[in-house]
Amino acid sequence: MSVVRRGPRAVAVKVVTYIALVAVAVVVLFPFLVGLSIAFKEPRAVFSYPPTLVPRTAATGTIEGVDGAVPLFELPDQDGTFGLVEDGVSFGIYIDAANPAGEPLQLLQDEVERTDRTVVVDGEDEAIFTPNVDGAPAELIRLRTAIGARFQNTDDPSDVVVGLVNTAVPAEEVSVRARNFGDVLDRQNLSRALTNTLLVTSLVVLGQLATSILGGYAFSRMRFRGRDGLFLMYLGSVMVPFVVLIIPLYQLMVDLGWVDNLSALVVPFAFTAYGTFLMRQFFIGIPNEVEEAAMLDGASRWRTLTRIFVPLAKPAIATLATFAFLYAWNSFVWPLVVINSGSTSNFVLSLALQQLGGRAQDAINLVFAGIVIAMVPPILVFLLAQRSYVENAAGTGIK
Amino acid sequence: MTTTIDAGPTPGDTDRPSWRSSWRLRRDPMPVERGLDLIALWHLVGAGLALVGFLAAVSPSGGLPGSVRTVLVGFWAAALVAHVVAAVGVRRRARWARTVSVAVDYLVFVVAGVALLHRLGLFTGLNAFADGFEDAVGALAVVAIGAWWVLAARAITRRRPVTTPTVRALRIAGWAVLAAGTVVFLWQVDLPGGLVTAGERLVEPWSLAVAGLALAAGAAFAYGWSAPVADHLGTTRRQHEALTGLLFLSPNILGFLAFFAGPLMFSLVISFFDWDAFGGTRDFTGFGNYIRIFSLQFTDAGTSDALAGDLLKPGYQELMRLDLFGQHWLIGARDPLFWTSLKNILIFLVLAVPLSVIPALLLSTVLNSRLAGMRVFRAIYFVPSVAGVIGITIIWGQLFSSTVGWINYLRTRIHEWFAVLPFVDGPAEPYQTPWLSSSSTALVSIVIVFAWMTFGFNTLLYLAGHQAIPKDVYEAAELDGANAWKRFRRITVPQLRDTTFYVVAVTAILAMQQFDIVFVLTNPPGGPSNSTLTPVLHLYNEGFKSSRHGYASAVAWVLFILIFGLTVIQFRRQRESAR
Repeated sequence: MSVVRRGPRAVAVKVVTYIALVAVAVVVLFPFLVGLSIAFKEPRAVFSYPPTLVPRTAATGTIEGVDGAVPLFELPDQDGTFGLVEDGVSFGIYIDAANPAGEPLQLLQDEVERTDRTVVVDGEDEAIFTPNVDGAPAELIRLRTAIGARFQNTDDPSDVVVGLVNTAVPAEEVSVRARNFGDVLDRQNLSRALTNTLLVTSLVVLGQLATSILGGYAFSRMRFRGRDGLFLMYLGSVMVPFVVLIIPLYQLMVDLGWVDNLSALVVPFAFTAYGTFLMRQFFIGIPNEVEEAAMLDGASRWRTLTRIFVPLAKPAIATLATFAFLYAWNSFVWPLVVINSGSTSNFVLSLALQQLGGRAQDAINLVFAGIVIAMVPPILVFLLAQRSYVENAAGTGIK
Repeated sequence: MTTTIDAGPTPGDTDRPSWRSSWRLRRDPMPVERGLDLIALWHLVGAGLALVGFLAAVSPSGGLPGSVRTVLVGFWAAALVAHVVAAVGVRRRARWARTVSVAVDYLVFVVAGVALLHRLGLFTGLNAFADGFEDAVGALAVVAIGAWWVLAARAITRRRPVTTPTVRALRIAGWAVLAAGTVVFLWQVDLPGGLVTAGERLVEPWSLAVAGLALAAGAAFAYGWSAPVADHLGTTRRQHEALTGLLFLSPNILGFLAFFAGPLMFSLVISFFDWDAFGGTRDFTGFGNYIRIFSLQFTDAGTSDALAGDLLKPGYQELMRLDLFGQHWLIGARDPLFWTSLKNILIFLVLAVPLSVIPALLLSTVLNSRLAGMRVFRAIYFVPSVAGVIGITIIWGQLFSSTVGWINYLRTRIHEWFAVLPFVDGPAEPYQTPWLSSSSTALVSIVIVFAWMTFGFNTLLYLAGHQAIPKDVYEAAELDGANAWKRFRRITVPQLRDTTFYVVAVTAILAMQQFDIVFVLTNPPGGPSNSTLTPVLHLYNEGFKSSRHGYASAVAWVLFILIFGLTVIQFRRQRESAR
């Protein structure tokens, strides 16, 4: 709506508009963010609840006087971060013999000396213990013993706490696990799928450009009997869904011996009615005089096409290349059908990710790293070619 | 020179062919008359070869499957006729003979050439090429750098000719990088090994024969195309233009025939067969497949717990039970899964199309305003339709996870926020809806992913529609005091009616072919209990899990006709509104 207004009301409308647009943008981008975050996560972190966007991991740290890194925890009722220094130690829970209702103390067995004296609590004889700590001789009785861990404060190693490990909360820190990408490329053979996709996509793009430019030129600039009828057939073919072609094309691949062969992903897709249509529409817009001048100079048709038409048609060629790239890079159904021996060396990315997603549920972070790898090129290409691509997509209604 | 039928230049054709000037200086390698006799002879030889091929194909001892034999018989017969016609035409020096002869030569050249390349392993060798390509990507990058270097240097020197030794050295270095990268690349993809393999296959007798045929046809084509022959046979400029046009179109048209038109016809043919692509059963069944698809049986079951097996004809399975007007109907079908998939896709259409189209309509109206940053939003909304369906679907699978998925988590959180209000209790425990493994929510999940993926594209289609609305209509409405909602309701929506129709049709056609989201998101695909089975998935299962390719083709054609119906409605609509 073209009418621009001013005033506080218009500002309010503007703000609401932007809020709505941003909200939709968040809905659009959120799944990508989730994907990106999982791609950098530890395997275990993928299955923690609540889900987080920032990849985190159990934190470790060093403590003075202790060798190596120790896992860090936050302890109930204690300030600061504690390192788990020794696991599987036995400790006792003691209370003050004089004040049984007071706070219980958790102390290591070794550090508490047992005396021969006893005291009667609730009608039972209880041994009295005297702890060695702090010098102050308190008289304690033991409630029970347990196996737990010895924690030391990271800032003050003299602050020692013993207790059960499962009441301690593991401290987390942001951890970006970039090696997921290397792992999925090497161990899951995704690097091969990546180069295969690169190869197949380049060949399809080159093939489509070559056949479409030649065909579009013929349709737009040369007269021959049956040309317009043929062109109508080309237009009509766009309406035929690929579904109808899957089975006969598969039969053709069986007969040619191209099943499980990358050629099956390239050769049938080097021809495109849509691309021919696109190039023809562009060439028709080039004035006749340009061509006639060239022909008068003795240039052949081939020279005219390559030296005059192709340079002029750069925007259309870029659009067609983008279409072809996105189509070939993302195609899934046909590779699923025709690359079917299960050998990963012929996989393309879409197929590899689908198989990996179904198989490697335990290494879902690797699958997501693979997804990021597969998504970056098409999104980049789209952003680079955005303007002309978007206009042409809207103009023809074909994806 | 005796039997030439020289019609003489007709009035329209007196203009001199434009191609003459460029070829005038060339000398004729031999008298054209003799050359034409040779061409005629070559076509006779070709006809003889075609006859041999034809007889071999007709003889039942070849052991070829029926379909291939039919195709081969047709092919050889056509070749035979074409060669004979060309031979006769050239012998009589007819003006049309050049067109026929050149076309036949070209086709023989292409067919023999492709067959030769196939035999030499060019196509199947792509796998081996890919083996090396994985390691050669680095070298390819070097090649790209070298090419960029050379082009950049050329662009600079073209703008300002400088020939200092440094510049020259830089240019040479660029070429060196390019050459070194190319050599390493070709070495890593094992070009020498590939050439050796191809060479070994080339020296086999059959390959040599095919290569000879291709060479002969190529030579005949080049000669027939040449100016002396064209002059001698009196080719008109129009004929030459038509030939050139067909030549330019030929890669496209041959691919179109081989990988579109041919397969399309073939799929129609095998939809009338019990067909196994690997050569098991191949029996003609007439309309059997189509009858099986649509076979339904309605029976009055009497009681609600009657056994389906007792009531249905053999071959029928229970599809559903209906209690109507006090009667218990039992509906059986020979392919109940087809009907299930049809029901699912209809529900899918009804839910997914509005969910994809209505947000697009609203957003496009906002995006069409002249506010800053609309381009950015437009680009963001479009990203899901280019990012690749498989990756997107796997991500959504994680979002839908019942235990650790964001969707259930956010529902829990939002519920908690609302619990601040009086009379609203917080969630007793986190939501754990099993989105994908419950038959009541699985299809809805697919709908959500589909709508999320496609609405950006539809927004774009709508934006194009907005361009066609005259601006002054809005200005007039504004002067009349119509508020934004009224303008949207009374101007935008009616003006965009045709666009809406188009967008709905495009989205519906896309939705009807839903396969990949379901295939990745549900386990087993189409589950749970077939609640997300779509027609294309059914087709896939029939064709590639059960090897019933004939039946699957019939399903494909039924689907095609349904989709085509939508297209025709859309076209008729478009034509009406154009009037």
